[in-house]
Order: sequence, then structure tokens, then C-alpha cells
Amino acid sequence: MWGHILTGIINSFLPLNFLLMIVGLIGGIIIGALPGLTATMGVALMVPVTFAMNPISGLIMLGAIYSGAIYGGSNSAVLINTPGTPSSVATTFDGWPMTQKGMADEALNTSLIGSAFGGLFGTLVLLFMAAPMATLALKFGAPEFFWLCIFGLSTIAAMSQGNVLKGLISGALGVLISTIGLDPMQGLPRFTFGYYSLVQGIEVIPAMIGLFSFSQVIYLVGSKNKYIADYKPKKGVTLRVLGKLFRDCKGNMIRSSIIGTIVGILPGAGGEIASIISYNEAKRWDRNRDKFGTGVIEGVCASETANNATIGGSLIPMLTLGIPGSAVAAIIMGALLAHGIQPGFKIFTNSADLAYSFIVSMLVVNILMVVIGSFLIKGTAKVLNVPTPYIGVAIVALSVIGSYAIRNSMIDVIVMIFFGLFGHFGGRVGLDTGSMALGIILGPIVEDNLGKSMSLADAEGSIFTVFFSHPISLLLIILTVTSVMTPMFLARRRAKKEAAKNV
Amino acid sequence: MKKGRKILTAIAGTALVLSLTLTGCGTTQSLTPTDTAKKLNYPTKPVNMVIAFTAGGSSDIQARIMQKYWNKYVPQQPWVFKYTTGAGGAIGFAEAAHAQPDGYTIGGVNVPHIVLQPMAQGAQFSIDDYAYIAQVVNDPQVLAVRKDSKFNSWKDVIDYSKANPDKLKLGIVGTFSGHHMMLLDLEDKTGMKPTQVVYKGAADQNAALLGGEIDVMIGNINDVMRSVDQMKILAIAADKRSSFLPDVPTFKETGLDLVSDIRRGFVVPKKTDPQIVQFLRDTFKKINDDADYIADMKKAGQPQEYMSGEDFDKFVHAQNAHAKELLTKFKLIK
Repeated sequence: MWGHILTGIINSFLPLNFLLMIVGLIGGIIIGALPGLTATMGVALMVPVTFAMNPISGLIMLGAIYSGAIYGGSNSAVLINTPGTPSSVATTFDGWPMTQKGMADEALNTSLIGSAFGGLFGTLVLLFMAAPMATLALKFGAPEFFWLCIFGLSTIAAMSQGNVLKGLISGALGVLISTIGLDPMQGLPRFTFGYYSLVQGIEVIPAMIGLFSFSQVIYLVGSKNKYIADYKPKKGVTLRVLGKLFRDCKGNMIRSSIIGTIVGILPGAGGEIASIISYNEAKRWDRNRDKFGTGVIEGVCASETANNATIGGSLIPMLTLGIPGSAVAAIIMGALLAHGIQPGFKIFTNSADLAYSFIVSMLVVNILMVVIGSFLIKGTAKVLNVPTPYIGVAIVALSVIGSYAIRNSMIDVIVMIFFGLFGHFGGRVGLDTGSMALGIILGPIVEDNLGKSMSLADAEGSIFTVFFSHPISLLLIILTVTSVMTPMFLARRRAKKEAAKNV
Repeated sequence: MKKGRKILTAIAGTALVLSLTLTGCGTTQSLTPTDTAKKLNYPTKPVNMVIAFTAGGSSDIQARIMQKYWNKYVPQQPWVFKYTTGAGGAIGFAEAAHAQPDGYTIGGVNVPHIVLQPMAQGAQFSIDDYAYIAQVVNDPQVLAVRKDSKFNSWKDVIDYSKANPDKLKLGIVGTFSGHHMMLLDLEDKTGMKPTQVVYKGAADQNAALLGGEIDVMIGNINDVMRSVDQMKILAIAADKRSSFLPDVPTFKETGLDLVSDIRRGFVVPKKTDPQIVQFLRDTFKKINDDADYIADMKKAGQPQEYMSGEDFDKFVHAQNAHAKELLTKFKLIK
């Protein structure tokens, strides 16, 4: 194995491969940062190009694009409150408040270092523990998925502290919206009102762009501020943030990496779920949990570390079992198959050079990402020095193009504008866009797995055994209950404390 | 030296992709008509290829292999790929159905998708909207269990299911899909009564089978090949054995008349000039007879099987009648 790793290191530093890594990373970061262009699209677009290369170079480039795009999504999340990819939704929760406080540099560097750390962690697990971890993907059935998503939804309780009712209403609206379209069990259309374009459901990305970015533009246009946020470039932020993260956020980063890797391994759950759960966990474990949502680097760190950790995770079942852990992993598998390489445990012996070179190159990519990213940040952060009217126009243009680009459809642009207005005016009456986004993202997965579990319950003859007897399910149920109870418990304790003070 | 060539190929490849995109914009072309296109004067501009699934997916890879040979036989004009995805392909199929019937929009279609989507889900096209050019892929469906399963033949599965109604957990991908049709066929022909568990895609279905959540699944060759080391393939629903799985018996040879598969082909809108349709049919036949093309398809794991446009047309309509009968019998459509 060490011999193969050495070959991998050599392959990674061949001039062509190294160049492809740099190009892939820069391209990936740009694709990720533009709302509407996702990691999936970026990798898919480049697959035909890899047909002309040798498989190792091709894979190295695809891996670099994947890593770059998942990280890149945080740039727009932090700077203009628009998650560039759905994986970065949770990054907006603290990233955008940080920017508003004039701490954009810190937020951007946190997400960069967090991403690289998570990416390295996930890849190391892939390198050394692929076989044992692969079996985890198989232990996770429909009931486990159902509880995992319920656990994810419980984040709403923590997110909307002080106004849980409005948070729950927002989340429920999101879930309701996610039921538009063909239902997963019977394959029949619902809530389409005879309008065929709705049969495919509400596309998540345009809805996110609307809720976060378009609604923000309406607010910006209405405000009298000359700039979106104060921004003065600071020197040496990267090193300062690095120091702070490794001093204060060690636990946070390791925990988020573990969550990210495990969620990544599961087929059907990716960065968007990992980042939400990590954010919630980081908040629950933190001493100053009330500060989350006001712009703390811990929040950005949790979300961004987790979503890059999913990359290594999602490749584990793909390489070992031929079961891709994410949409991007599926496309990379397509590229492997097109080269005539069959995934499976044998890939580590039959095509060992290829497999290990790919994995080792991902380690190099993540280190390289810190260097390239810290240069790019200097440029992207300048966005904040552009006067609000120009930025407003640019965001609107990007929102429209991004929504349209998903599947070349005007429907998605209308969806985006609708959710923009909904998010803006809903926000005024206290609806929470974050909770609604969680509902829209997690709703379909909850429903799909609830349906499957009910089918299984038919065969087992008992709903109870299916939902409440698997150990992983029980663990997730306990976590969910704790997650819901913690804010309530804290509120009561605070009330008691204040009552004691007033006496 | 070898490294240098690799770099060259990479550059050449990128240049090829770029030039294809660029020539897509060229308008004035000095046309050198081949024999077949002498009177026809087609194509005089790039031809749109509508793919109803994502770039890099199996449909896309197949069409890209085909493109290589289109360029060989019709060098004057390239294909421009357009990905219109969503609703299990229905959006892209509809686009191909309603495009200008000028021969400059070819669509990739899948059967039984184009049969079932209008029939059961209100998709906005019909199988009569198309002129069929050719079938290029036939991906048969199989019945698969885990390697350590107690079932050793499809008959074991049926017997168990008949003896224990609703106890057998059987996984399929999607409702009103090829898998769903095969399941209904099985239930219809054998009287088995499994509990159907519907998955979103082959990835989570494979994981569910290997993890023991379901006992048996219906899969396509393309999908089961990825995890074939951990599975036992009981039977294949095809007329003859597959070269990918030569040891797996067909249902037919073991006593059950069941053929169920997913086929891919190409179409143009119905009202397209018959001369153009004929030109396309001839060209696609040439491509499918090309030994290099067949080798490329095999390498990419694509179960290549050519059928002429006329036969494909008849096949689709026969599938339509069969599906209507089956779905009505199971009260899934009115």
C-alpha cells in the first residue's frame, strides 16, 4: 500500500497533473461561488474532456473541481448571503452576519481553512478506512435515513430560538412546498393544479437563490447604505484565523469532519445535510451558543468543514461498492466506467495505481486549495467595495442566470422570483428563511424514506419494529429529542436565573 | 516521450471539444454533399441533440460515442448537445416531440419511459409525436439477490413469495418505470405477491439490497454490473443471454415467457420530411454497423443492440398496448 501511495505522490506532482489540479481548483471555486452553478454541473461538464486524457489525470482534475466547487459555494454565502451550492446554506447563518460586522476576511478564511481541514480528514478516512466504513453505507436503511432527516429538521428548534412557533411554521411551509410534484411512492402528480411544469416539483436551487439572495437584494435596494458592508482588507488574516481555529475550534473541526464524512458515505445524503447537522451540533456543544447566528467563526467553521468532509466520504462507497455517495461521485463513477474501469474492492488491487493516485491527489488538492484560495479571497472580497446599486444589479443578473441554468427553464426563474418576494415579505412578519430552506431540502428525503419504511413495515407486519428497533435509529431518535429539548431547557434555566436576579 | 504524447492527446482532446463548440456558431459552410444527401441538401447547419438526462450520465455517454461516428459519416455538420432534464426524462422527451420538424432537432428517448409517462403521469407528448430513427441500446432487466441469499433461482423467489404473501421485500427504482412494469409482469404471470419498495435510483437500491433491507431487486445490467461481486443474478429478462453475464440464464430458457428491458433510441418530430428521416435512418444504421463503434460501446459497458426505425416504431407501439393492458389490469390507470 505504501508503495502505491508513493506512486500517487509522484503522479500528483507530474507537471501535467499538477497543472490540472490548479486549473480544476480555480475553475471549481468559480463554479461553486456562482449561485446556480453547482459542483455537480461543474464536474459533469468536464467529464467529456477527460475522455481524451489518461484516466489518472482525468480523475485528478475531476477531484480538484469537486473540492473547489464545494469550498467555492461559501464565498457567495459569506459575501452576498447567497449559498453558491446547496451545501453552503448553513454557512450563511453566521457567514453573512460576520460580513455585516465587517469581518468578511475572517469569515472567508475560516471557510477556506475549515474546508481544507474537512477535505483532508475525509480523504484520510477514504485512504485508510475505506473498507470498514463502506459497510456503514449498507447499514443505513430507509428508517435510519428518515430519522437522520428528522434530526436535521430539529435544527429548526435551535435556529429559531425565542420564536420556535414561527420557525416551525416556516419549516412546515418548506416541507409542504417540497411535496409539489410526482409523489415518490405512487408516481402520481400532486399540487400541480393541472400545470405540467410543476410535475417535476420545485427545484431546490432556484428556491434557495430566491429565499437567500433575491430577497436580500430587495432589502439592499431599500436600504440607504452605500455599500453592502464595511470592508477594509486586513493583513495576515489567514494566519490569524488559522491560529484561532486550531486554538479554539479543534473539537468543532474534528466533530464536523466526522459528521461530514459519515453523512457523505450515505448515498442520498450530501453536503447540504452534513453542514446543517454540524452547524446544529457545533451550536449545541458550544459554551456561547447564544452567539450563533450573530456572526461567529465557529458557525462558519462547522458548516464548511463538514461539507468538504463529505467529498472523501462520498467516494468511499463509490470506489469500494460501486454505490456513489453523492451526485458528483456518481458522475465520477460514470467517468471511471467510460474508461472501462469497474469500481469495487478490486479497484484497490487491479487498478491500484489509479485508485491511490486519485486519493493521494485529493490530499494534495486540499493543501493546494489553501494557497490558491487565500489569493482568490483577496479578489473576491473586493465585491464589498462595489457600491450597493451595482452589486444589486449583479446579484439580480446572477440569480436569474443561475436559476435558468439549472435546466434551461423559465419556470425556475419564476420560482426564484416568487421565493425572493416570499422570503422578503415573509421575513417582515417573522418567517424564517433558514427554516424554510431546511424544509425544502430535507422534505423530499423525509417523505421518500417514510414511504419506503412504511412499505417495509407492511412486509414486517409491524411499524414499531421498522422505526424503533434498529440501534442507529434509536441513537438518532435520542439525539433528536436532546436537540429539541436543549433550547427549551436553556430558556427555562435562563428565565429562572433572571427571576432569581429580579428578586 | 510517452508522457509527451499523453499531453498532446489531452490538448488535442480539449481542442476538439472547443472546435466542436465553435463550429456550432459557424453559419456559412461550403457544403460537400455525400451521395445520400445529394438531392436532400441536409444538414446545412448544426443538428441539436436533445438528451433528457444529465451530462455525463449513461444516455449522454452513449450519444457522445455515437457523435464520434456521426462526424465520420456526416462530416459536414456537427451535433450540438442540449441537456433538458427533469421528471424522469419527460421534459426532454416532450422537447423532442414539439421541436420544429425540420430535422435539426434529434431527441434521445427511452422505452418504456416514453410509453408510461404520457399514459400514467400526464406527460405532454405521445408516442405518435415521433418519427423513429433507430434503437441503439437494449439494457435488459434482471432479478438479483445478495450473494449469501437463500434463493438460488427465480423459482425459489416466486415460491417463497406465493407461500408468504406480502413478506418478500422487492426493490424497484421508480414507479411507472421499466422495473415497475417487470414487477407487474412477474405478478401477472406467476401470481407472486411481494411488497414493493420503491427507490429513487440504482445507487440506493443497490445499497439496500447489499445491506439486507430488501430481499430481492429488479435491476438493469448496467447497474448490477457495478456491484456484481456481492450479488447473485438469478435470471435475465431477455431473449438471449447477455455477453456481460454469460452464466445467467434467461427467464425464457427456464420456463417463463418474460422479456423486460430499457431501450434507448433516437427520434425526430413526426412531421419531419420523410427524406430527412430516411437519411437519418441510413446514417444511424451505418454507425451501428461500424465495428469500431461496437467496440467503443462494449468498452463503455453499453449493451448495444440495433433495431431499425421502422421496427423500433412497431416495438414502441406494441409496448404501449402491453403496458395499457397491464396497468388497467392492476387498476393503476383508468
